[in-house]
Amino acid sequence: MNSQRFRTLIILAVAVVFVMSLPVVTQQAQAHKAKHSPEQLKAFEDLFMEQVRIGDLLFHGDAATEKKMGTNLSKTGMACAMCHPFASDTHPYEFPKFQEQINKFSTLRDMINWCIEKPNEGEKLDPDSDAMKALEAYIYWSNRGSKLAPGTH
Amino acid sequence: MSRDRREWKTRDREREGSGTVPGMSRRTFISGALAAGAAAIGHGLIPGISIIDLAYGAESFSFAWISDTHLYPKTLNTRFVEKAERAINDVKNMKPAPDFLIFGGDLAQLGDPKELQLGAELLDQISIKKHFIPGEHDWYLDMGETWGKMFGKPPWTFDHKGIRFIGLDTVSRGPDYWTAKKMTPAERMGHMATLDGSVAGPWAGLGPEQLQWMAATLSNWPKDKPVIVFSHNPLYEYYPPWNFWVRDWRQVHEILRPYQHVTNIHGHTHQVLYNEIGSMRSIGMLATSWTWPYPPEGVPVLTIPMVRVDPGDQFDGVGWGKINVPSSGKVAYEYMMWRKDVYAQSQVDSGTGDNDNQVLSPRVADRP
Repeated sequence: MNSQRFRTLIILAVAVVFVMSLPVVTQQAQAHKAKHSPEQLKAFEDLFMEQVRIGDLLFHGDAATEKKMGTNLSKTGMACAMCHPFASDTHPYEFPKFQEQINKFSTLRDMINWCIEKPNEGEKLDPDSDAMKALEAYIYWSNRGSKLAPGTH
Repeated sequence: MSRDRREWKTRDREREGSGTVPGMSRRTFISGALAAGAAAIGHGLIPGISIIDLAYGAESFSFAWISDTHLYPKTLNTRFVEKAERAINDVKNMKPAPDFLIFGGDLAQLGDPKELQLGAELLDQISIKKHFIPGEHDWYLDMGETWGKMFGKPPWTFDHKGIRFIGLDTVSRGPDYWTAKKMTPAERMGHMATLDGSVAGPWAGLGPEQLQWMAATLSNWPKDKPVIVFSHNPLYEYYPPWNFWVRDWRQVHEILRPYQHVTNIHGHTHQVLYNEIGSMRSIGMLATSWTWPYPPEGVPVLTIPMVRVDPGDQFDGVGWGKINVPSSGKVAYEYMMWRKDVYAQSQVDSGTGDNDNQVLSPRVADRP
């Protein structure tokens, strides 16, 4: 076996080992390789509804949840639900869209932060924070019967 | 075609002056035409005028309505104080002065004596006679103790220039949701102060004793003479999940049905609202504090929706009310909203514009 051939075999062997190791390295990036079990689906739903509950409490100005999440959503006593009972008039199904008061093409998260900063005079959230995701979960869940109508006003 | 779109078509015809349409009374037609006209002229502070028949008023006069100030202590929130002060100044500057002021409930946000005291001090600047009815926010911290000491306890009645006035208590008879759960007064108040909460349940109502009182109070009043009833909550079934009703509205209507000219003026809904049921007209007044959105269903067909409110302007969509009773016997009510246009001219700019595609669910976090 000449050296060229030997080097090729070594490269192939390394590649095979690398590919075989991928499921271990990237395990959490994979999905749908196996059928979902009812227990798994229940776990997903429970996780989602827990976020909805946290968002509901934040949306209604619950002080204990605010403390736990490290947020300060209002300095005026106003809570989101005071203008949006049942998350009404949040119309998450219309986003993304041009939002007049922000004067740019905006997402629901942009609008949530605008409401926190302006009417509530609170401290805006990191758009990727757990509190923002929970608020988003509650608003979407509350409006889940509505039709998607992105870009509308 | 959705219900909302049907309504907008109806309203378009109404505004074009093509006459009355099925389900719309002439009275409401006048109301709508005047409202649109007033808005177009741009009266500024007096943009929305609606007229309802109220015959047999002996002498012309006016009275003012302020409600739903929802005051926090000044240290927490100055915006609500500023808006209450603006309404109070407007009433003070009315020329000629109104005969009296009705305060329609929810003076405080959390029933705190400090909040109620602040409200009393602000309203003291108005020197005309004042009559008070409570809202749920005024009551459930100490079960009306402070309110009763400061403003007296309803119901009450008086006659003025040919009209019998009645002030109701629609808030104090909620079901006991606190004893079994050993809630503190602040916790009890917190649930009551959450409009879309489920814990306080169907708290709005008159109760059997007050119904009897109202029937007795009206028993010596001629059936063809006008009656004006003040209540915090609307006296019909509008949207029960937010207590936009009284739970015993059927009994209320039974008592009022024989009277030919009944007007109910109410707060709590924080929005432009109008309805007619039998001989009773129902007028929802503005809050000074903030607007509630129209609920996803139940908005009376006779309501011409208010404009979509700008949440960046704290004075938008809120205000107070002026009721004129001219000697002709027609009562005119005016939404003293601090903006030029009160009524929406198109669905996209309407406070009910979202209802077409808005399906909502009650919240989850306060369920057992």
